[in-house]
Amino acid sequence: MKCYKCGAELTNREYCPNCGAGVKVYKRIIALSNRYYNEGLERAEVRNMSGAIESLHQSLKLNKSNIQARNLLGLVYYETGEVVAALSEWVISKNLKSEDNSADDYMDMVRNDPSRLEVFNQTIKKYNIALNYCHQDSLDMAVIQLKKVLSMNPGFVRAHLLLALLYLNNGNYAKAKTEAEKSLKLDTGNVMAARYLKETESMMLPQDLKAQEENKKSANDVVRYTRDNETIIQPVRQNVFTKSGSIWGIVLGVILGVAAANFLILPARIQKMNANYKTQISEISEESDSKSAKMGEYEQQISTLQTQIEELQNEINSYQGADTPASVGNNLMEAASLYLADQTNIEGIEEQLKDVDIDNLGDEASTQFMDLYNGLMTFVGADLSQRSYAVGYDAYRNGDYETAIPALIKAFQYDNTNVDALYNLGNSYYESGDTDNAKVIYDQVINDFEDTRSASSAETKLAEINNATD
Amino acid sequence: MINFENELKKFRPSLEIEDAEEIIYNQDLDDMADVLVSLLKDAKAEESNRQMRSRS
Repeated sequence: MKCYKCGAELTNREYCPNCGAGVKVYKRIIALSNRYYNEGLERAEVRNMSGAIESLHQSLKLNKSNIQARNLLGLVYYETGEVVAALSEWVISKNLKSEDNSADDYMDMVRNDPSRLEVFNQTIKKYNIALNYCHQDSLDMAVIQLKKVLSMNPGFVRAHLLLALLYLNNGNYAKAKTEAEKSLKLDTGNVMAARYLKETESMMLPQDLKAQEENKKSANDVVRYTRDNETIIQPVRQNVFTKSGSIWGIVLGVILGVAAANFLILPARIQKMNANYKTQISEISEESDSKSAKMGEYEQQISTLQTQIEELQNEINSYQGADTPASVGNNLMEAASLYLADQTNIEGIEEQLKDVDIDNLGDEASTQFMDLYNGLMTFVGADLSQRSYAVGYDAYRNGDYETAIPALIKAFQYDNTNVDALYNLGNSYYESGDTDNAKVIYDQVINDFEDTRSASSAETKLAEINNATD
Repeated sequence: MINFENELKKFRPSLEIEDAEEIIYNQDLDDMADVLVSLLKDAKAEESNRQMRSRS
């Protein structure tokens, strides 16, 4: 605190230590100023702007150098839309205390946003125009202007109040009430707003009041404002967590999402996966079928090859028997050797020639073989033929055609002039039921042994066979 | 019942930015301390006048 006379710093004493002036009253004035400042601050904190302005004015009347009170007064003016008054207070504050003054920050805030300052200026001008319209009795024009002002600066208390007054004047009490309430919301200690509100409520019917309350409840979800003669209704953006039901909404949404995934998305995916698996299974089964078919084919080939092997083995075995050319040649040589050793050993010769079948050898028999065979037969053929014929004929007589036929064949091989052996061979075939071979043999008898008894008998037998077949 | 004309008179034009300089210069900044000083000055002047009259 400084002395009002010399500007020296004051102490606790009741006079100035520099000039000796009495400062007791002065100190009380400063204290009173501070008290009003505190009151103004308390009022501003509860948005009682009118009360705060009043208190701060009182504070500044007591002490013009109360910088905090002046800066706060500027802020309160700024908040109520009185930007010029606010700037004035801050400029004076800056002049009174040039250093360490928060008014600098406030002015920078306004200066750094020139567009905002221009908007404030425009709103002030439009408000003044609206006030002029009121004085000229152009009330509708005034309402339009004020709506524009409030769309640009909704915190302009005076514009709200003038609009409320205009609505009151033309009997639109509901709107007047709304504007008065907005004014009171911005400035809770505004006596004019309270008065207008009381007036509107006294003028409105009880049912209108009730309807307005209901409208207010429903309008809580929207923001209504007017721009260029148009009323715009916009939903209020609310944080999801600020609404009590929002969390439940989120939970419900999550549940519905999970349910949708379970009932809509998952089945489709499962179906798709099943289809894929089915395709894979069918591909595998097709592959398996083709492999099974191949295996069957291979098995068939194996069995065919096995059969061929068996056939070849049998063929080999058959070649390993007596009728091979080598063994036949050996037998003939052995027989010839036996004859040379002992010409009467017919049994031994017959035993060696038993397996030599000239008819079956065909072209395989060499000329030398046939010469040796024929030469040997010249000497022993008749005897061998008689022996075989005797065996075959006995068997024929006894009805043993299986023994008779090979024996009679051998008998005719040994001696191809033995017509009896050939005829009885035919008879054996005939009696055994083999008429085809019988006919061949009978034909051979008729052709090779003409004019013999056997030939005529053969003709008779042949006729019998032909008649039987006809 | 509110009288519109009377109420309207209570509304004054808002201060425009162009008028700010004039408003600042013309603002009455005298506070209670200034009043007190002038009171003391007046009292002192009155005292000196009285002394001068009594001497004469």
